[in-house]
Amino acid sequence: MYNRPHLRLLSLALAVAFALTALWPAATLTAQDNPLTAGVSNKFAGTELRLIFANHPWNNTIQRLIPAFEQASGMSLRIESYFEDQLSQKLQVGLTSGTSTADAFMFRPLQEGRLFAKNGWLFDLKAFAEADKDWNWEDFQEAARGTVTFEGIVFGVPIVTERQVLYYRKDLFAAKGLSVPTTLEELEAAAKALNDPANGIAGIVMRGQRAAAVTQFSSFLYSFGADWTKEDGTSGLDTPEARAAYEFYGRLLREYGPQGTTNMSWPQAVAVLQQGKAAMWIDADSLFLNATDPTRSTVAKDIGFAPFPAGPAGARQYNITSWALGINELSENKEAAWEFVKWATSAPVVMELQKSGNPGPRISVWESPEGLSGFPTEYAEVAKLQSARGVGYDRPRVISVGRARDIVGAPIVVAIEGGNLEAALKEAHEQFNAFLKEDR
Amino acid sequence: MTTNYAVQVPRSAVSLQAQQRRLHRALLSALRYAAIAIVLFIFLMPFLWMLLSSFKTQVDITNTRNIFNFTPTLENYQNVFQQYEFLRYLLNSFAVAALSTLFSLILGLPAAYAIARFRLQWLGMILLTARIVPGITFLIPWFIIFSRLGLIGTLVPLVLSHMLVGLPFIAWIMIAFYEELPIELEESAKIDGATPIGAFLRVALPLSMPGVITSAIVAFIFSWNNFMFSLVLADDKTRTLPIAIFNFLTYASVDWGGLMAAAVVITLPVLIITLFVQRYIVRGLTAGATKG
Repeated sequence: MYNRPHLRLLSLALAVAFALTALWPAATLTAQDNPLTAGVSNKFAGTELRLIFANHPWNNTIQRLIPAFEQASGMSLRIESYFEDQLSQKLQVGLTSGTSTADAFMFRPLQEGRLFAKNGWLFDLKAFAEADKDWNWEDFQEAARGTVTFEGIVFGVPIVTERQVLYYRKDLFAAKGLSVPTTLEELEAAAKALNDPANGIAGIVMRGQRAAAVTQFSSFLYSFGADWTKEDGTSGLDTPEARAAYEFYGRLLREYGPQGTTNMSWPQAVAVLQQGKAAMWIDADSLFLNATDPTRSTVAKDIGFAPFPAGPAGARQYNITSWALGINELSENKEAAWEFVKWATSAPVVMELQKSGNPGPRISVWESPEGLSGFPTEYAEVAKLQSARGVGYDRPRVISVGRARDIVGAPIVVAIEGGNLEAALKEAHEQFNAFLKEDR
Repeated sequence: MTTNYAVQVPRSAVSLQAQQRRLHRALLSALRYAAIAIVLFIFLMPFLWMLLSSFKTQVDITNTRNIFNFTPTLENYQNVFQQYEFLRYLLNSFAVAALSTLFSLILGLPAAYAIARFRLQWLGMILLTARIVPGITFLIPWFIIFSRLGLIGTLVPLVLSHMLVGLPFIAWIMIAFYEELPIELEESAKIDGATPIGAFLRVALPLSMPGVITSAIVAFIFSWNNFMFSLVLADDKTRTLPIAIFNFLTYASVDWGGLMAAAVVITLPVLIITLFVQRYIVRGLTAGATKG
């Protein structure tokens, strides 16, 4: 599967990619008919666009491609980058006061999307998106399109997608003669078999911090047949399925997890894996370099990828749009900004981005072998399989996401600690119902 | 024999007592040093960890089995200055901290003197209110005003906003200082022909130098570490260090080594300045504190 010749091939491919990117600016100067900027109009030549991006690999890659766009469009782009929480604060201050000078920005549709849309900060892109047939809105995954649609308006264009996967230690599985778990039952059996506290190896590690764990718990919730809310919009935490999911997640970490999981978000959890102290780790596939990069991980060569195991309700892992591009409602350059957004999300550019390791939202890119060439082979197979299925959200879809995560995350901690889950769920259910009534 | 013996008993008892006392003292001082060592260890451990980690690769940082045994690398520091352009942020931070402290002194010292000498308590209260109201309250109005004035993206809003912290602080420390200063000194200066301003500049100000330096240093450190105002009012060119340090956190990875190297770079200037002027701080703090 993922053996040395592949690695060599991968490093060769990477070397070629790097060499090509080094040549990039020179290439664009000569090639007027660059396929990456084929459809770009120079109608807005001379416009200066201000963009605010997150510190994100997507940002690093697009900045490499932007000179070609600037040349083709005659526009100049001014980009500021911030860490995600700062980005969110920065945008909110600027947008609340109505003085933000950004024309377009990156945002997290599941975290801030509804708040921004509700406040009318995001320009409705529906007309633009549906008018341009060449750009092809239909080529975006349905879940991704759903994520950026709220009460009939399209408030952003998806740029990065991610899914939950199972990272496992091939060597430890081989040593015990275990096969990779495909169901949650097998997952628990494997965690039990591999848990070896005497040698400092935990069966499994996952997030246990109240709000941070919510997204990674969501796939368990869905796979047990539950959801955050019921069809009538009230809390779904009182169902037996939800209870079973919380109980299962808590039991896994309590019995087969390392110490201190209730303080863990992903950086803490992945550190346990990196130091070879856990046999399995379940988290977002966007984090894979943390596990497979030898400068960060002592077990890089032994990491395998598998789809999220199926539960009683089937394999229902999350498959979400983690980042989108939006246009500021107050921008005076909306059409010029759309020209940029359209280019950055066009099929050839998304292909280029995905080849550099940024999982994108376009079906056509996922279906072409070229689109998978930027990932380790096994990862590509799992990501492709999971990008076609799953649930389009990994947290409650509400306006005040932060508060909701605190409410539904509290029983996770109780479950891990082995406390009174029944009471915790009852309390969370009532709080969540009260919250949902307010959150409109 | 017996007398000798009888004499010897109290003697040996005395020496035994002295020995016991000496032992007692040795034990106490050993305990004291042990306690100091423990407290120092607890306080210095994070700094030590920061320093060590800044010379480690990512793999070594998360390795808890062997904290002291690793191959040191300078790559993190290289990244800090080359890839992340920390020199620019360092200069930004320095300019903002120095200018805001300077202007706070220019406005705050005469204000403190006037409040102390002319009993303008209400003015003092107003100054204090600016310090009591949470800083975040000012942020949105400021942001609107500064962006309407087209000043976002320059150092002006940063310097002005950091004065909100520095100015009341300096003024309040110095009020106590000037109240403590014998008024006779200034009176004699006036008899010798000095104007009130001259008396302040030539007599009160030089005498209050320890306080001025203490409050200036603390105001400088406040500004150096300020995060909230800089976050909102700076753009990518005027970013200060506490904001720039977040460049090491990205969506799906944390560059711990770079983060720690940057933390060292941020801590060092303040540490050096503080060590240099430490004696003023100690003197200044007690001088300000003893006066009720």
